[in-house]
Amino acid sequence: MINCSSDIKMIWNEKIECASREEMRALQSERLVETVQRVYHSIPGYRRKMQEVGLVPADIRSIDDLSKLPFTTKTDLRDNYPFGMFTVPMSEIVRVHASSGTTGKPTVVGYTRKDLNMWAEVVTRSLVMAGAHRNDIVQVAYGYGLFTGGLGIHYGTENLGATVIPISGGNTEKQIRLMQDFGTTVITCTPSYALYLAEVMQEMGIRPEELKLRVGIFGAEPWSENMRREIESKLRLKAIDIYGLSEVIGPGVSCECQFQAGMHINEDHFVPEIIDPQTLQPVAPGERGELVFTTVTKEGIPLLRYRTRDLTRLIYDRCECGRTLVRMEKCTGRSDDMLIIRGVNVFPSQIESVLLEMSETEPHYLLIVDREGNLDTLKLMVEVQGQFFSDEIRELQALRMKITHKIESTLGISVDVKLVEPKTIERTAGKAKRVIDNRKL
Amino acid sequence: MAYQVSIFLENKIGRLERVTSVLKENRINIQNMSLIHTANGWGILNLLVSCPERACAKLCEAGMSASLRKIVALEMQDVPGGLDGLLTKIASAGVNFTNAYGRVVEPGQKAFFFIDADQIEDINEKLQAVGLTPVNDDLIYGV
Repeated sequence: MINCSSDIKMIWNEKIECASREEMRALQSERLVETVQRVYHSIPGYRRKMQEVGLVPADIRSIDDLSKLPFTTKTDLRDNYPFGMFTVPMSEIVRVHASSGTTGKPTVVGYTRKDLNMWAEVVTRSLVMAGAHRNDIVQVAYGYGLFTGGLGIHYGTENLGATVIPISGGNTEKQIRLMQDFGTTVITCTPSYALYLAEVMQEMGIRPEELKLRVGIFGAEPWSENMRREIESKLRLKAIDIYGLSEVIGPGVSCECQFQAGMHINEDHFVPEIIDPQTLQPVAPGERGELVFTTVTKEGIPLLRYRTRDLTRLIYDRCECGRTLVRMEKCTGRSDDMLIIRGVNVFPSQIESVLLEMSETEPHYLLIVDREGNLDTLKLMVEVQGQFFSDEIRELQALRMKITHKIESTLGISVDVKLVEPKTIERTAGKAKRVIDNRKL
Repeated sequence: MAYQVSIFLENKIGRLERVTSVLKENRINIQNMSLIHTANGWGILNLLVSCPERACAKLCEAGMSASLRKIVALEMQDVPGGLDGLLTKIASAGVNFTNAYGRVVEPGQKAFFFIDADQIEDINEKLQAVGLTPVNDDLIYGV
């Protein structure tokens, strides 16, 4: 166990992060019972779902009863767009964030003052897990805005007492100049952007040794151990994986510690389960499956058994860092067809609906995701036929631009649209293959 | 009114040959062709053939994106300044065209100049008003 004396904390909230399993379960039980009471009486959707399986709030007496509860999915959030899942009046909601949804409608989440304080707390814990302390200068290169990345890390950093550089995403040369001039010690961004920073740094003739970077906290997209080694050697820092999703809170749901052996889940707020995505039954302890979260302290938009669609496993062994918080492995995939491209959630159905809007016939298309020079690229191949065919070059070019703009404004990421001849996109007997992901993660 | 066949083609090995093999199979003769390439990896092939309706149908059957497009052919002298003289008249008729191409019919004597007529209203009337008579369809198709 690493002890926390003096000014610099090695563990932010030792009482919680190092609690015994019994203590944690007691806390989770108490909070779950309270959450179920609250949502049952304030959200008709939850009440109906519980009634459908014959449950009343009194049936949930401890964390052992968690698996009796019905699931919540992204569809529930979408069907109740924008504020239907909020359990408090709008006057209590002090901020909203949103992420992309499956049909162009974003998934909206609302935070009360207390939620924001809780979020700052879990992000602060995460920063400390990553090895940051109050003397650090933290450059937040996640996007600020509806995306939870920027503001989430921002308030956690202030709560820690470290210095925030709220630069947001992009503007790569300026990012590097500020690292030099301000002496940035901690950088937070997506892992692919970290590699891009390293590349631009090299082009600018700046060696990482000239900088003071010590820790990188990277998340919002899947990355591999190989990528970690590459980032660590190119930027000369310790690369830490952070996990989160806006529905649950944002970044800070879980984070790696110095031992980089799985991400510690802030399970006093977000209770994890692993289920088999087919049978929907909990898997045996330690087995791989779909990650499900129940929020037990959130006020704005509490979620019962929210299916993340991320595939992983839980590790209950004690960690070398001394924390007892359960760890989750890096996510190895998804139980749906969502892609994460440059940190943005992309569903193939979003592309399909854009194409369908422009054509009466079913479009034949193929998405190709690649990683070129450390950045994800999205290529869309569309067969030129029916409404998508013209014998005039300028009309075809205008069509290509129209598809490009529509998709870019729907997804918020750039796309290279390629027009191809009819019947050149492979048809398979069953479901058409719509996505080729060439990224080696 | 005469027609050309326009086909969407990707710039890849063997793609043009897919078109010519369909024409060969159906014994369709090519009178003229032009291939326009774009920077985006595809282009449009314009074909003047002996029977454009049948050619277009056969190419579509073979799974290609093809369509018919109205054209007008004008006769000119195959001598220096021949095209210049013709264009002066076309301009005086107030006809503005986008795509065009030519073909020598009798070397040193006669050539045809083809212009894209799809977007131009009353093109025949306009040309006739300045003394230009579009070439008969049979002569264009070479049948």
